Amino acid sequence: MLKTKPDPRVIFLLVMTFSTFGLLIREDVVAMAGLFVIVLVFAGLLGVQLRRIFGRIKRLMQILLLVTLLRSFFTPSGIVLFAIADVPILTTGGIAMGVLVALRLIIFIIGAAMLTVYPARALIQAMVQMKMPYEMAYMVSIGLRFVPQFAQEMQDSLIALQLRGVEIKKLKLRKRLSLYSYLLLPTLVSSLQQAKELAMSMEMRGFRALPSRTSYFSLSIKAKDYAMMVWVLALATAISFTIFNNNFYEIIMTTIYTA
Amino acid sequence: MGDFVVTIKDLTFKYTDRYRRSSFELVVENFAASGCTAVMGENGSGKTTLGKLVAGILRPTFGQIFYNDMDIAGLTLAQIGGQVGYLFQEPSRQIFAPKPLEEIAMPLELRGVCPEEARAKALEILEKFELSHIVDSVTFTLSRGEKQRLAIAAAMVMQPKYFVLDEPTTGLDKARRQILADTLKKLQAEGMGILLISHDMDFVELMGADVRQMKGGILC
Ligand SMILES: Nc1ncnc2c1ncn2[C@@H]1O[C@H](COP(=O)(O)OP(=O)(O)O)[C@@H](O)[C@H]1O
Ligand SMILES: [Mg+2]
Repeated sequence: MLKTKPDPRVIFLLVMTFSTFGLLIREDVVAMAGLFVIVLVFAGLLGVQLRRIFGRIKRLMQILLLVTLLRSFFTPSGIVLFAIADVPILTTGGIAMGVLVALRLIIFIIGAAMLTVYPARALIQAMVQMKMPYEMAYMVSIGLRFVPQFAQEMQDSLIALQLRGVEIKKLKLRKRLSLYSYLLLPTLVSSLQQAKELAMSMEMRGFRALPSRTSYFSLSIKAKDYAMMVWVLALATAISFTIFNNNFYEIIMTTIYTA
Repeated sequence: MGDFVVTIKDLTFKYTDRYRRSSFELVVENFAASGCTAVMGENGSGKTTLGKLVAGILRPTFGQIFYNDMDIAGLTLAQIGGQVGYLFQEPSRQIFAPKPLEEIAMPLELRGVCPEEARAKALEILEKFELSHIVDSVTFTLSRGEKQRLAIAAAMVMQPKYFVLDEPTTGLDKARRQILADTLKKLQAEGMGILLISHDMDFVELMGADVRQMKGGILC
């Protein structure tokens, strides 16, 4: 783990770069796995508690399975491992695709988690210093701050509803959908009330009284941070050359020819 | 009337919530409650946790909880609702519908009762809990006391024989507290057992409850 954390802006850059790669890699499982390892290393260095994240994303296994089966069935590729009367059910290509999609999702989740190692105040300041209007920066961070609370409230409502004798698992789909609209209501009401109060107290402290806002707390990029940024970009370039080797060449050549 | 007894045997509960990394542990060696029992103790001593365990919302890490002689480990929340009612510390969490009538009729309909019957039942319950005057109000703008009474009324549709109330007097003035006490005493007279979680000494005395103390996760 790093002794001093880099400037949050460096991590913004890093997360954006790697997430973009996660989106761009479409077929190549090996490349995705490589990217995954790189992201893991960075997350580990930053002190992201990876074990907690992995504990939580067990549910992704379902997606992995679904993608695997769909891919095997509709666009069979690779070796057929299992088939029913010539209809491929499981192929190596399908498995590869399932793994790829799962890895992509995990990369996004870890990317988001890398930002949460910073206090909210530092993240707001980073966004403001990246020229985002401060109103928006605050909106983003306030939104994130309420997510766990709303989750808890919905959980409580779900329990209360079950205690009224409703067996949720036994309901028909149509009824279940109407039930979810009921569950949203208490949370919606409480969030509107809280938003009103929050808005009032922010107003009282002069939020948006002036178009710009100075801050006592400010982030400064140090030589180390620049070094890390350059390093991330160099790594990104290297990755693009290895992954998109052929395409890259084509793209560059066509650009040159048309010009 | 056969009293409804909640029994707890050698119970240990630990929060397994990985995120908050709580080291909190609740221990109850022996607990048998019927009639009206009050659990008192400081904030964070584990009163809410105990209440949720009794209502089956949290499940024990070790040990057992019985309603009369039935181990509740195998019961679903919906089944528990027919035996034990629960009032959240924050009653707005258990109010779903914009109208009090719908609030009570909706779960009935979800359970397959026909709409007319559910409506009639809801009106009857609202009448019983002296909420008839708010039938046409919007639930979210009700006062705290009224929300509480509505939440209790809604749980009573299930005809539970025991009720867990988590700090029901918070935010109520003296008159509202009296109204709540009257409501609860009426239910008690009908044979309802009550677990009252509170640090409101006056209210506990008003209800004439047996008092148990909770200290740092241990029920004395
Ligand atoms: N969901 C949870 N996850 C982890 N710890 C919790 C959770 N809920 C409560 N706790 C902890 O358990 C302890 C007891 O909480 P609680 O039962 O709510 O106390 P009380 O109701 O007596 O104020 C507290 O220290 C609290 O921080
Ligand atoms: Mg409590």
